[in-house]
Amino acid sequence: MEKIKYTVKIKRYNPEEDRSYWQDFEVEVEDSLTVLELLMHIKDKMDSTLTFRAFCRSAICGSCAMVINNRAGLACKIQAKDKIKRGVIKIEPLKTLKPVRDLVVDQEPAFDKLKKIKPYLEADPKIVPDNTKVESLVLPEEFARYDKQTDCILCMACYGQCNAIEGNPEYSGPFQLTKVFRFVMDTRDGMDIQERIKLAEDNGIWDCVQCQMCFAACPKGIASCEDILELRRVAKDTGEDNVATRRAKFWFETVFATGQIDKFNLPAVALNDEKGEEIRNNLAKEFTQRGISQEHFVPQPFENIKDFQKFIKKVEKEL
Amino acid sequence: MKKIGIYPGCCFQGADEHNYDIIVAFLDNMGLGNVLLDRAACCGGGVIDETNKKIVYGLNARNIALAEKEGVDLYTPCNTCYMIIAKTKLALDSDPELKDAVNKILADEGLEYKGEAKIYHTLNLIRDFVGLDEYKKRIKRQISGVKIAPYYGCHVLAPNEVAVDDPEDPTILREILEPLGVEIIEGYQNETTCCGYHAGFTSPGQKERLAIKPLEGAKEAGADIVATPCPLCHKAMDGYEEPILQVTQLINVACGMTPEETHIHINKTEVKLSL
Ligand code: SF4
Ligand code: SF4
Ligand code: FES
Repeated sequence: MEKIKYTVKIKRYNPEEDRSYWQDFEVEVEDSLTVLELLMHIKDKMDSTLTFRAFCRSAICGSCAMVINNRAGLACKIQAKDKIKRGVIKIEPLKTLKPVRDLVVDQEPAFDKLKKIKPYLEADPKIVPDNTKVESLVLPEEFARYDKQTDCILCMACYGQCNAIEGNPEYSGPFQLTKVFRFVMDTRDGMDIQERIKLAEDNGIWDCVQCQMCFAACPKGIASCEDILELRRVAKDTGEDNVATRRAKFWFETVFATGQIDKFNLPAVALNDEKGEEIRNNLAKEFTQRGISQEHFVPQPFENIKDFQKFIKKVEKEL
Repeated sequence: MKKIGIYPGCCFQGADEHNYDIIVAFLDNMGLGNVLLDRAACCGGGVIDETNKKIVYGLNARNIALAEKEGVDLYTPCNTCYMIIAKTKLALDSDPELKDAVNKILADEGLEYKGEAKIYHTLNLIRDFVGLDEYKKRIKRQISGVKIAPYYGCHVLAPNEVAVDDPEDPTILREILEPLGVEIIEGYQNETTCCGYHAGFTSPGQKERLAIKPLEGAKEAGADIVATPCPLCHKAMDGYEEPILQVTQLINVACGMTPEETHIHINKTEVKLSL
């Protein structure tokens, strides 16, 4: 083990003064520390007032999520050495939750949002036996659909990095929507699928900007961004008709027909109102002004498009 | 002459046709030849998943296979196309069964996904395909007296597995902009928040609220222009007070083109460059 010197830049919060400020700690420590051990070292040897939350030290309890070099993650899972950038490690509390003190944030608002989506199984009496003597069977291939998602430890790293919350504080959050997905996919769940989807819609699936940051943050490799797309798919397939589902249908149809999305007609078809028409008319005017020929308003099918269409059909069926 | 395959995404058509001219000129300025992969199809745009996720794998395996057939690597300036295609490549390269299954279907079109072609975006193309030294040699004039705030957008830095630079401390955009003679403004408020483009239809208010944030942050920090590599970020963020341009447009100007020639005049928010 080798000792290394670097600067730890910590964003602290003092609730008495309601003040956030950066403080630098110059450390000389073993190169084998996790970020959590580094924080414990600072608390132990340099500043006993430094406050952070941790418990299991092994990426299980979900207490120690924070932002390290602009990316949320678990302090106990991340090696400090890997995070030294030009001599500095930057540590902040999760960004979308209010700090209580230093690196500790108030998780309650995120838990309240979780409660709203009914994060529990409503047993389907047709599948789940009414006594404990008989097992409720789930086939491996059924479980595989949401196996990964059950690994969530509620650490809120994804939530602390979510752009949708940045734009709309009411947005429920990645792990909450992953939870909806998990129950939508669970064969034992008896809640009406439309009711589950309504919970997802009322809690933000259309507000997600698909930035992928939740996936980048998750210590368990859960891709909430993809679960959200799946929820949108289920919403569409169970009959939801709105701007988003019309967009999705039209998108696929035109890609199937030409290889490309028809962006000229998309607003009119998706919005399906006067505003959509107006956008199309304005686009037509703009194109004409810019000397774009009429045939370039919409994508033209590429050569041998029939072969491409056969390919897509086969992918749908066989992949 | 080294050649690269241009992947035609939706950022090249209709109202965005000019983006094609921008990148063809850019490749030309970099001394690269190009092959247009004209039978390539939409990457899925994060929307075709809402029909069937498997189609996204199929589409992009096919897109990459088309490049491989031409014996070229694939280049797209779009952050989202880059991320989705690179993600597919990762999935195919790490899952032999998936790769075999896709290849069985691709064979009907006489195509095969081999996994040889690399996926390039403007940022890693300059660094790894052109080379930063060669890039610098190709800059003919300086765009001086202008303060530029680099804005990466999301999909070149996340997911981490496909990031074109260290997502925690990216420097590539600065390294590309500095040789143009501009002053760089970094560390501004909301430098890393999303442009909101992909909520444009599903939640227009969300898109509006997000698009303006990095612009305001850059303006407050004293930047004259925000520079992004991504045509979608550009589209989402153009039209507010602070102007935004694509990095390739600035490069084209520094390589001797007039702002008009690289379509800077069609920006909704006017940009003035002193040359
Ligand atoms: S992809 Fe959606 S849920 Fe995930 S961080 Fe981005 S906005 Fe939030
Ligand atoms: S999805 Fe991942 S990052 Fe989000 S709370 Fe669960 S374990 Fe943490
Ligand atoms: S301390 Fe339990 S997850 Fe880090």
